[in-house]
Amino acid sequence: MAKYTIKRLLYMIPVLFGVAFLVFTILSLTPGDPGTIILGITAKPEDIAALNAEFGYDQPFLIRFFNYIGDIIFHFDLGTSYQSRQPVIEDIIARFPNTLKLTIFSMSLSAILGISLGILSAVRQYSKLDHICVVTALIFASIPGFWLGLMLLLIFALKLRVLPSYGAGTLRHFILPTLTVSMTSAAGLLRLTRSAMLETVRQEYIRTAKAKGASEKRVIWKHALRNALLPVITTLGTSFGASLGGAIIAETVFAMPGMGTLITTAIRQKDIPVVMGSTLFLATLFSLIILIVDLLYAFIDPRIKAKYQSGGKSRG
Amino acid sequence: MKRKITKKLAAAVCAAAMIMSMSAFSVSAAEDSIVIAVDADVDTLHPSDFSTTVEMDVLNQIYDTLMYMNPDGEHEPEPRIAESYEISEDGMTYTFHLRDDITFHDGTPLTAADVKFSLEMYQQSPYQGSQVTGLSSVETPDDYTVICHLENAYSPFLLGVCSVHIASQAYYEASPDEFASTPIGSGPYKYVGRNNGSNLTLEAYEDYYRGAPSIKNVTFEIIPDASTKAIALQTGEVNFAEIESASMIQLQANPDITIAEVPTSGFTYISMNLEQEPFNDVRVRQAINYAINRENLVAICYDGEAEVNSNICSKDRFGYSDEQFQYTYDPEKAKELLAEAGITTPYNLGKLLVAEKYSNIATVVQNDLRAVGLEVEIEVEEFNAYLNNLTSGNYGITALNMTLEGDTQMLEMAFMTEYIGTANNARYSDEEMDALFTSAAAETDSEKRAEIYNEIFTKAQEEAIYAVLCNPLILYAYNTDLSCPEFALEGFYYIYDFQWQS
Repeated sequence: MAKYTIKRLLYMIPVLFGVAFLVFTILSLTPGDPGTIILGITAKPEDIAALNAEFGYDQPFLIRFFNYIGDIIFHFDLGTSYQSRQPVIEDIIARFPNTLKLTIFSMSLSAILGISLGILSAVRQYSKLDHICVVTALIFASIPGFWLGLMLLLIFALKLRVLPSYGAGTLRHFILPTLTVSMTSAAGLLRLTRSAMLETVRQEYIRTAKAKGASEKRVIWKHALRNALLPVITTLGTSFGASLGGAIIAETVFAMPGMGTLITTAIRQKDIPVVMGSTLFLATLFSLIILIVDLLYAFIDPRIKAKYQSGGKSRG
Repeated sequence: MKRKITKKLAAAVCAAAMIMSMSAFSVSAAEDSIVIAVDADVDTLHPSDFSTTVEMDVLNQIYDTLMYMNPDGEHEPEPRIAESYEISEDGMTYTFHLRDDITFHDGTPLTAADVKFSLEMYQQSPYQGSQVTGLSSVETPDDYTVICHLENAYSPFLLGVCSVHIASQAYYEASPDEFASTPIGSGPYKYVGRNNGSNLTLEAYEDYYRGAPSIKNVTFEIIPDASTKAIALQTGEVNFAEIESASMIQLQANPDITIAEVPTSGFTYISMNLEQEPFNDVRVRQAINYAINRENLVAICYDGEAEVNSNICSKDRFGYSDEQFQYTYDPEKAKELLAEAGITTPYNLGKLLVAEKYSNIATVVQNDLRAVGLEVEIEVEEFNAYLNNLTSGNYGITALNMTLEGDTQMLEMAFMTEYIGTANNARYSDEEMDALFTSAAAETDSEKRAEIYNEIFTKAQEEAIYAVLCNPLILYAYNTDLSCPEFALEGFYYIYDFQWQS
């Protein structure tokens, strides 16, 4: 298992290099240069050229790319923002905690709601509760995030005045953004859990378990759930990783400084070091989370664990 | 089992309800504090190397200037750091006499050396260097006298120099790194701190030479979304903000909120590439000017919150006169002019290139042009790509908004040959126009200057170099309890002038 983990960690190097190259290339192919964006069209061309030279933007693409990579590897330096002239890492340190908190809160809420209601729905298929769950999930899955966010703002901040309308200072500030982000993903998880459970309870081993006299509780929790949970965990893992990239809509609506707005603003301003630094930071995290999810399989499914230990290449 | 789960759910719902009702969220603005919402974070607080409006709004509270001058150029300068000033007869020497009782926020006195340092810093700055255009050298005969020598007589210098933030030379030399991030000025507010991406705080500088400010604590909160900003204004979490016209109706209905409509010199316009057919024909440009229903455009694209104006010089600006011709909506005249120019309609003008945020303006323009027989195909581009095409002249016709604030002379950027490739989007080149702008800059007599501008804008209108549409208004929404003096052209605000009414 340790060998497998190390191997996977080593795989991350080419993956991250690929990500860096791809993002850098795309950014360089887009029109516009940082000097013009910062100084505006009324600036003198020589001032713009001087600023671009200061950023090293006048260098050829490949030289800039390898300089950048070199700084990361040899100086652990993610670069300096063109706009703020501050180290990119400072932006990430300031913003990432908000994103992480929002991700943990919203993923926990959507996991609790989605998985529990999904199981309930599946166990009581075609009951009133099931219908309510499925229809509600369908509604939330189709509501656009910004609309839901604004409605929550109108109700809780403006009408009831029980929650703040913007910011990220206290835990109270996270309630509305958490609801906004988690409702959509909870709806997805509910539907996924429900269908996975329904499929599992039709399996022969469930019939066997029932036949040998196991209680309904034991059949559901011990036999059905553990098997049904695999696709759910995969989805949860990837959406956890994805939402670390920032919930741009919730961040914008609730004026919460997070990774999403950091990256989108930087892209618009062609602030290459910020885009690169945050993308690489997130890509690293994402790869680690996917690795953890894969390792989690082993604990949930003994069949996969057996494969790891026998040194098999398949990840089940 | 069903009951058990229901119970747990009920417990969870109760817990959630408890958290929310623990203490009803109420905001009451403290008498001596103000919360201002801004669209974006500041990237720097460098006194001269800044580029955004938000940065300027914050810096204007921290740094003071030599004089205060209303941007309309029609008012006499008010004393600030300088008590008085003189301009030599040849217009080449500006002398400022400083107060001797001014201190920076760190307690050190402000002297002529700091002013010299600041002016020279602006001179070197690619960001704000244009504010001191024409400055050749600065001399400080004593601690409280500053003499600016100009290369040539250049009248716009006074308005420009009045916007220079005076910074501390000693502080710059002691800590050049903190200079841009932790500013120390001599203005009414001291910098306290900021949270990257969320807010920035200032507090009153009690030793300010014009007297301590009435409002003691200032917080700039970053709220990018217009709807959220409007909600925060209504809940009282925010006391003052610039709003979008779309939020007007909602906020106007609220008696606790006052809205100020402030004129700006920024202009929304159609630019045509004069190097291309058929835009090189003045009759075609005039026809396009007549074809646009500007009132309708303002109603649709600005919710009525813009001043209709076909002149590049806005009505509050020095040099504007009613004598200068105004184009009004006259589609028949447009058709006649097109016929005169030998254009058989329907005629295809090609692509109307716009950046995304101006696509609604493009749609209105497209409709109006179609009504006189001119077809355009709208092409929307991402802003940076658009800018490249605009400045390199890789377009035929486009619609956008531009701000050339400061002295009226700044409008030379839209007309003079040397600005082709930057802000002269029409790629207009005319020796007479170049000469007129050059003589306006050198003219020291303000009446004579106004006459030259009159000539310039009359010429610009006759030749229909651009089709200017309107000057959008800045909208400020604030607590009715807050008293703000009337905002001058461009809407720069000074929190020192604000006061809570008790």
